[in-house]
Order: sequence, then structure tokens, then C-alpha cells
Amino acid sequence: MRLKNMLSAAAVALALLSAPAALALEPAEQVKLLATIDDRQRNGGDYKAMVYLEQKEKGKADLVYELVVYRRDADDKLMMLFTKPKTEAGKGYLRLDKNLWNYDPNVGRWERRTERERIAGTDSRRADFDESRLAEEYDPSYEGEAKLGKYTAHVLSLKVKPGVDVAYPVVKLWVDKASGNILKQEEYALSGRKMRTALYPRWKKTYSESKKDDVWIPEEIRLYDEVEKGNSTTILVKTVDLRPLEANLFTKAWLESKSR
Amino acid sequence: MLQLFLIAFRNLGTHRKRTLLLGGAIAGVTALLVILMGLSTGMKESMLRSATTLSTGHVNVAGFYKLTAGQAAPIVTGYPAILEQIRKDVPELDFAVQRGRGWLKLVSESASIQVGAGGIDVKSEPGLQKVLQIRAGSLDGLAEPNTVLLFEKQAKKLNVQVGESVTLAAQTMRGTSNTLDARVVAIAADMGMLSDFGIFVPSDTLRSLYQLKGDTAGALLLYLKDIRQVPVVQARLRQTLADAGHVVMDHDPRAFFMKFETVNREAWTGQRLDITNWEDEISFITWTLTALNSLTGVLIFVLMVIIGVGIMNTLWIAIRERTREIGTLRAIGMQRTRVLLMFVFEALMLGLLGTLAGATLGLVVCLSINALAVHVPEVVGVFIMSDTLNLAVHPASVVGAMAFITACTTAISLIPSFLAARLKPVTAMHHIG
Repeated sequence: MRLKNMLSAAAVALALLSAPAALALEPAEQVKLLATIDDRQRNGGDYKAMVYLEQKEKGKADLVYELVVYRRDADDKLMMLFTKPKTEAGKGYLRLDKNLWNYDPNVGRWERRTERERIAGTDSRRADFDESRLAEEYDPSYEGEAKLGKYTAHVLSLKVKPGVDVAYPVVKLWVDKASGNILKQEEYALSGRKMRTALYPRWKKTYSESKKDDVWIPEEIRLYDEVEKGNSTTILVKTVDLRPLEANLFTKAWLESKSR
Repeated sequence: MLQLFLIAFRNLGTHRKRTLLLGGAIAGVTALLVILMGLSTGMKESMLRSATTLSTGHVNVAGFYKLTAGQAAPIVTGYPAILEQIRKDVPELDFAVQRGRGWLKLVSESASIQVGAGGIDVKSEPGLQKVLQIRAGSLDGLAEPNTVLLFEKQAKKLNVQVGESVTLAAQTMRGTSNTLDARVVAIAADMGMLSDFGIFVPSDTLRSLYQLKGDTAGALLLYLKDIRQVPVVQARLRQTLADAGHVVMDHDPRAFFMKFETVNREAWTGQRLDITNWEDEISFITWTLTALNSLTGVLIFVLMVIIGVGIMNTLWIAIRERTREIGTLRAIGMQRTRVLLMFVFEALMLGLLGTLAGATLGLVVCLSINALAVHVPEVVGVFIMSDTLNLAVHPASVVGAMAFITACTTAISLIPSFLAARLKPVTAMHHIG
């Protein structure tokens, strides 16, 4: 009788221990999940979008910027050209060979910036506008499933790969189990301090000729500054155009010409 | 002679109140002098330790490189060859390190500050390991590229901890604004004014920020086995480096960053070497030491005048009280010189006992303050180059202070003692006091 009880207890314990393991994603599946997230957003060809940046800062008036984002994902090129307000018109960012350059037409100078650069002083970073490269930049580890409102999400913890330059070395990701879209992203410093939270409330599907498949684009990203609490930025992506762009677009000269 | 000492000693004992009052005053001044000297020496030692760790060697071979006449950068090009020559020319050398020098903006998520950056190869910096007190993280972290060491006050201002990133922004020699992200790997205890404006990053990180080649350095910091050899080594290097074909700048005893205005005004371009010593590099803060020493001097002078008047007055009273005694002693054959010595010995003994008590008191105060590691207010810490009060007491300076005050009190007693010795025995014996 006693032995029987012990065996029953062992069986229950084994079942309990094996339950999370059954739910957890294998490392290969985690990497695959990241690759899928990247691939769903990858266009393969060129990309142009009208973007609005709304910056809310504690004790200051809200600011809204209008900019055009150009991307050539095949060459890892990105350009952001500010068009509004008037004071910002002509300013821009250009990413060439892993170098992010900032141009200010008021002084006519190019300045080299880093991944931590606050785009136009907002809470947004270069990576928020660029092609998703999660699988290339981070190593994932599975944290389990979690409910986020009405959605059930895979929770992944990502750590930057050695030698890769990113704005945040540790990221916690909530991926919708049903759609595979990112719902929420928390970004941390290596010290463990939470730096920023990003919410992805709206995704849009567009057919890409170059990819010959659908491309998922986050239409809205809400960014919350976790260091300076109360500051936030909303990125609204409008009128996405996936047709090929001019060949010589991603040059300093082109961006400079737009401010003349 | 021994009898005279005995008389003087007994006389001090007879007038106990007066002796205690005057001796107490002498002891107080001695204690004050010992403490102030301890503070001054402590400041000097802290300054030397901080400066020769954070920003300068005992002797520095630095310089400026000018692409155009008006644009100087604190750079020494081709430093390995210069260092090799220095090793040959300076047998007094203990060790030498190369440091990068830069002035940049440090940006965190919530704040930014302007700081001077020292580019270091942490493995070849034994001095830093000994002097920096790491509060968080590890100094060895600086062996990795794109890392930074901050001091506590800076970390607080920037609101960053170990493991978080900051952006370094600076202008390259060609005028391009460049930035670089660096991870905070260590936070060190503040070290006064020098640590307020200084951070450390790996040399290659600083070169990368300024887009410089691997054989460039900001300065070669030379640490000698004996710091007293500084002037000799400095003079010799000026000669040998000039003989080797380098253009050596005229000696300007100022910190390198104070020379930009002068150097930028000059018409030359290319590389020039500047040979300085540690005192030159911290000349902008040594005024605090001069000010303290001057204040000590004035204070001690005033107190000595007060004590001098007190001693003179006391001896006047003693002579007046003992006029008949002096007359009797003279009448039974005591020489004038012995009368003089009797009173001088009284002052001498008072001085010796007073200074001994004062020096002991001063010493106890200094040692207690050191043992308690008393924290000073931030403003004071900036000037004394340490966040704790450090009083350095050396036996020679204590003995010196005692000898000085005793000599002063003895010298002051000479006037009334002379007058006592000059008294005629008959007049003295008839004195009704």
C-alpha cells in the first residue's frame, strides 16, 4: 500500500514537471519563431512609408513630426526624411554600412550617430523603422505563455548576440500565439533595468510584388519611456508603398538635395 | 645649570593656574598647527595620489597635433617609437603608460554631462588598480571594447548603473561629430575635483570615437622610482627628444587643456611635443593648497602674537612678584647671566611642556579623524581631493612645529629676562611688591 502511494506520488510529480516542458518551445523552435516574425515583416524589395511621430513629454507641449521612411532591405539601407513641421523639414537619417548618419540642413553637417540615438529626440530608435532582424541579432529563451488582454502570447526573452550593436541588449517579447505578430516588447539594459516598453496594437497586411507574398507592417507602435516616466511616443505608419525606389536614393547627396 | 632648571620647574609648579593657562594656550596653538599641517600635507598627498592616477604621470610627454593652424588636438603620433626612446633615456623610470585624452559629451537616457576622457589599457595601469575604489562593477571590465568607468557623482547625475549604456559624443579632428555607445562596467568612488570631470574608457574605444590610428596617444605618463628626480628627468627628456628630431614646445607650467588657446593661435602645423610634470598638470587646483598654507601661516602668526604678549606679561608679573628674590639671589652672588637663564628656562620649559601636550593632542585628533574616516561636504571634498578627511602627520613636521613654538616662546621671554637680570641687588631688595 505504501509503495503504491509512493508510485502514485512519483507519477503525479513527473506529470507536473513534464507539463511545462511540453508547453515550452524547443530552442530551435524559438529561433524559428523569431525568424518567422522577421520573415513576415520582410519585404525583400524597397519600401516607402509616410510616418507620423507623436511625442508626449512630461510638462511640455506635444510634438508631431511627419517623415518619409525609405528602405532597401536587400542592402540594409534606410533613410528617414523629415517633412513637417517646417523647423524639422529637410532633416534626416541615413543608414549606410551599419553607420547611422544624421543630417541637419541648418548647419549643413552630417553627424554619425549610434543605435541608441533618439530619432528626432523622441523615444523611437532606428530599429523601430527598419527591417526586423530579431533572429539575426538576438538569442532567444522561452519564458512560457501569458495572457495579454484577450490574446494568448508566447513570451520570449532575447539577449543580444556577441558583437552585435543594438539599442537594447535584453528584450522581452510577447508574440501572439494565433497570428504570430508581436504584441508587446519590453527593452532592458544589461543591468536589468527596464528602459522602454513598446506596444504593437495594430498590424496591417500588404501584398508585396518583390516578395510574392504578404508583408506584415506594424501600423502603430506605442513607445513608453521607462526611465523618464510619463514620456511616450507613438509611431503611425501610413501609406506604405512597396514599389522599387530610385537607384541613387540612399546617398548623402540625395538627402542634402531635399533641403535645398 | 640643573639647579636653574629645577628653580624654573618649581616656579612653574608654584604658579599652577598661570602655568596651566599659558601652557594651555601654547598647547592649543601647537595642536592647531599640527592639525592644519596634517590637513595641508594630507591634501598634498591626496592631490599627488589622485593626480598621478587620474590625469598625469610624474613626468608627461604629451603634445599637440595640428592639421591646420587653428585646430589643435592633444595627440602624440607614433608613440611606440617615442616610448622606446624614453625607456632608453630614463633609467629612473619605474613604469610608463600611454593615455588617450579627449573631451566629450556623455549622454544617458535622462541627462548629459561634459567630461574629459582618459583612454587607458587597463592591464598596463598598476596605479589605477591601487588607487581607484570600485563601488560597483569591475575595473577589469575596461579590457573589453566600448566600455566606460564612471565616478559615483557622474553616475548619479546620469542616472545610470553598471550594465547600462551611455553615448559618447565628440568631434573628430576632421570636424565630424561622431558618437559611440559604451557600457558602464565600473563605478568608482569620487576623488575630488579631478574625478568630477574625468572618465576612463579603453584606449581603442577613444581612438575609435576620434577616428585615430592605433599608434596615437594623448600622452605618455612616466612614473619615476623617486619623485625628486622629476626636474632632472624633465630637463634630460627635453634635450634627448629634441636631439632625436622632435619639436619640443617651450615649457609652459599649465595643464594641457589650458594651452589650447595659445597653441591654436600659433601658426605651425604638424606634431609638437610638450613635456610637463605632475605639478604643471594640476596647477589649476594647487591654489587651494597655497590658500590653506597661507591661512595656516596667518592664523599661527596671530595666535603666536597673542601668546607672545601673554608670556611677556606673565614674566613681567613673575619678575615683579620676585623682585626681592632676584635682589637676594644677586646679593648672595648669583651672576646676571644666571638670573637671565633662570627666567629663560622658565619660558623654555613652559614652551616644551605646552608644545608636547599640544602635539600629543593634535596627533590624537588627527589619528582619530583618520580612523573615523570622516566624510566631508561635497564642496569641501572638491578642494581637498577626497570625500573623506585625510590628515597626514609626519614625525618630522610635529617635532618642527614643537621646536618652532618653543623657540618663539623662549625668544619672547628674553626681553623680560634681560630686564630682570639688569636689576641692581640693592634696588631689588628694597622693592615692596
